[in-house]
Amino acid sequence: MHYLVRTITIIFCLLFSSGGLFASKDAGGTGFIINNTITITGAKGEYTGPMGELESVVIPLKRVGRLFMIEAKIDNITGNFLFDTGSAELVLNSTYFRKYMTTTGGEGGGITGSTGTIQNVQVKNIDVAGLSYRNLSADVTNLSHIENRRGVRVLGLFSLSMLKGMEIVIDINHNELRLYRLDKTGNRISAQKNEFRADITEKVELYHNILFVKVKIGGKLLDFCLDTGAESNVLSSYAPKKVLSTVTILRRSDLMGVGSGEAEVIFGKLNDFVLGERPIPNMETIIASLDALSATYGYTVDGMLGYDFFIKGEICINLVKNELKVSFAKT
Amino acid sequence: MRYFLVFVFLLPVITARPQFNPNTICRVENGRTYFRIDLRWNDKQKKELTHLFDLDSVVLQAVFSGKKEIAVKNNQWEIVKLNDHMVELSKVIKSLSVKSLAANDVFMVDDRWISAEGEAERESVDFGVNRFTNVHVFQYRNGVARFFIPGHKEAKRVFLSGSFNSWSTERTPMQACDSGWVVSLKLKPGKYSYKYILDGTWTLDPYNKLSEWDNHTTNNSIVYCYNYMFRLRGHPSAHQVILAGSFNNWDQKELKMIHIGDSWLISVYLREGTHTYKFIVDKEWVTDPGNKQKTPDGNGGFNSVIGLGDSILFSLKGFHDAMNVILTGSFNGWNTGELLMDKSKDGWQRYYILGPGNYEYKFIVDGKWMIDPANPNTTGSGETQNSFLALKSNYVFRLDKFPDAKVVTVAGSFNGWNPDNFILVKKDGSWTFPIYLKPGKYTYKFRVDGKWVLDPGNDIWEENEYGTGNSVLWIEP
Repeated sequence: MHYLVRTITIIFCLLFSSGGLFASKDAGGTGFIINNTITITGAKGEYTGPMGELESVVIPLKRVGRLFMIEAKIDNITGNFLFDTGSAELVLNSTYFRKYMTTTGGEGGGITGSTGTIQNVQVKNIDVAGLSYRNLSADVTNLSHIENRRGVRVLGLFSLSMLKGMEIVIDINHNELRLYRLDKTGNRISAQKNEFRADITEKVELYHNILFVKVKIGGKLLDFCLDTGAESNVLSSYAPKKVLSTVTILRRSDLMGVGSGEAEVIFGKLNDFVLGERPIPNMETIIASLDALSATYGYTVDGMLGYDFFIKGEICINLVKNELKVSFAKT
Repeated sequence: MRYFLVFVFLLPVITARPQFNPNTICRVENGRTYFRIDLRWNDKQKKELTHLFDLDSVVLQAVFSGKKEIAVKNNQWEIVKLNDHMVELSKVIKSLSVKSLAANDVFMVDDRWISAEGEAERESVDFGVNRFTNVHVFQYRNGVARFFIPGHKEAKRVFLSGSFNSWSTERTPMQACDSGWVVSLKLKPGKYSYKYILDGTWTLDPYNKLSEWDNHTTNNSIVYCYNYMFRLRGHPSAHQVILAGSFNNWDQKELKMIHIGDSWLISVYLREGTHTYKFIVDKEWVTDPGNKQKTPDGNGGFNSVIGLGDSILFSLKGFHDAMNVILTGSFNGWNTGELLMDKSKDGWQRYYILGPGNYEYKFIVDGKWMIDPANPNTTGSGETQNSFLALKSNYVFRLDKFPDAKVVTVAGSFNGWNPDNFILVKKDGSWTFPIYLKPGKYTYKFRVDGKWVLDPGNDIWEENEYGTGNSVLWIEP
């Protein structure tokens, strides 16, 4: 049953969050940063060993359409990982990490494995812009749909679970991700002077390594998750009438999939969206059923904040205080 | 007064015209989509309705013929009359979450609405010249480009990232030197976009005045690696010498030449192919005295001509008694009268300048079409069989197994998955097919005597929609 639910979730996420929300097997467990230290390679490439004093790192993001890539090295394979806060843990693309799987399918004339197969594996080393991780668990699955859609090599999905205990600033207008180490109380460690200048501060809930925040549409409070892998915002088609009536529907389309698959995509403009008493005008959204996602989490998901939200300014997430801060870009 | 009355009488007619406001047509409520449709809409408005909301023509026909419901493609539509001319059409929203759609379909449709396409590659240009404000920050000699960014001594990690390394943020680290950071890398002549990454932060080259918008939020620096230098000797007392040509639409101001020693010089990047040009010496147009190749300029004079690229020799042995032999192919739109071949000692030959790419061709000997007997690489079969030439081939499909197979082909995203077209040639027990592929991802499979086979020499493959796999190949820039 668990597998079925997980599969449904994955189908949903393939559709909406570019690989999406994978139910974590160790939700709420310990982080992936082994021994609670981060190793960093120092100036001009020489290895300087673990550095407890690391205060901040800037990771350059590579933009591919409305997606953002982080270059990383997994064991000896280097390439792009999609920065996907909608993914519950590190995910590897089976195209390049098939040898990590215990059942790899056939060779030569065909494959016995089917699409959607997922396997949890262990990865020895991951290096990202000077950060080093050791002995991580990761899900291996087929991510070729993202590659083929955007024409870029995608080795996997880089999730928030990789950044536990940190404050992260997502600045897609400058194509960068800034990471700050925090003390136990969730403050940037002492030498770090530049606190985030927030226009709004909101509490967030971390559930299965996915961030949820309360938003207000048409005066109604709704639960949205934050998903950097979603190329558009998504609003549930079962949201209250008062909520949906604030959306101007601009487009609709029927999609015919392979076999008997069929679905509907509705696209519109959010006219009355408020986050932390701050109205955010002119955000576009897809309207779709989020029932399967809600069922998987046992948590009503009313929508997803994707690219249209992240482009609004600098988004700061404190993963100790569980706070979301936004510094809106000047228009 | 009379006009006023006419206006008053016309007013109801004007206000009664059916309104078509796309923003108020569709709404979503309780998991259903609703469309408010005015039965007075004309054909143009109906067409716009279909375009915006993808409504099936059968459904619309039912609406406009007064039906109360209709089922089309597993959808049950309800039609409710609101008043004399307004109806409301509705149906349950099909849930995306439980349907086995191809995963990328949603955003493919969505792309047209949200402009999510990736960065457009605009590297294919006719010509270019650099505009650096500091001559030391970029040099290009013997195929090696040297990038230098002065200062930033406090930086810990500096990288060069650009179209030449697939915008890798790690692959091209710069080395610290006395006065800044430097890196050299091999580049072919061409146009490239790039940025520096200083401790994780993307940075435009501050000494480069050329930049282009990346279609999203930022600019990238632009550099050209030159492949040609124009030189005009003499004219020591001229005030100004300009280069103008077909490559810059004969602009009379853009390309100022520099006086060095006994010559006027300018280096440029020029696309491979044929270009015509002249120099303008103090407003007087002159051809290049150092270049004998000239072509009529259409005004009774001449332009100088240069051809950049590989000149390919097509040759056909024998056929000494033939009256004429013509070369025709995909490179000239299969024109059957353009490329007459010349008689040679062995038979017939013709030089032709071509850029990198895949070409199909044939010879026409006294009206009879034939493939090139000296070229083992062919595409198609029977009457559709053509000789195949991969110029500056950058990949060779190779299959070392199946030495006893009769026919081996390769099909993939590069040829529309045509199973019969690209035929491998057997040599020393291996099957091979050379090809030129632009940078990017390709999926493919071999077909051995009619049976699909993954490339056994390539570990990288992905699942396909048939529940089997396709081999994956990435061509780097």
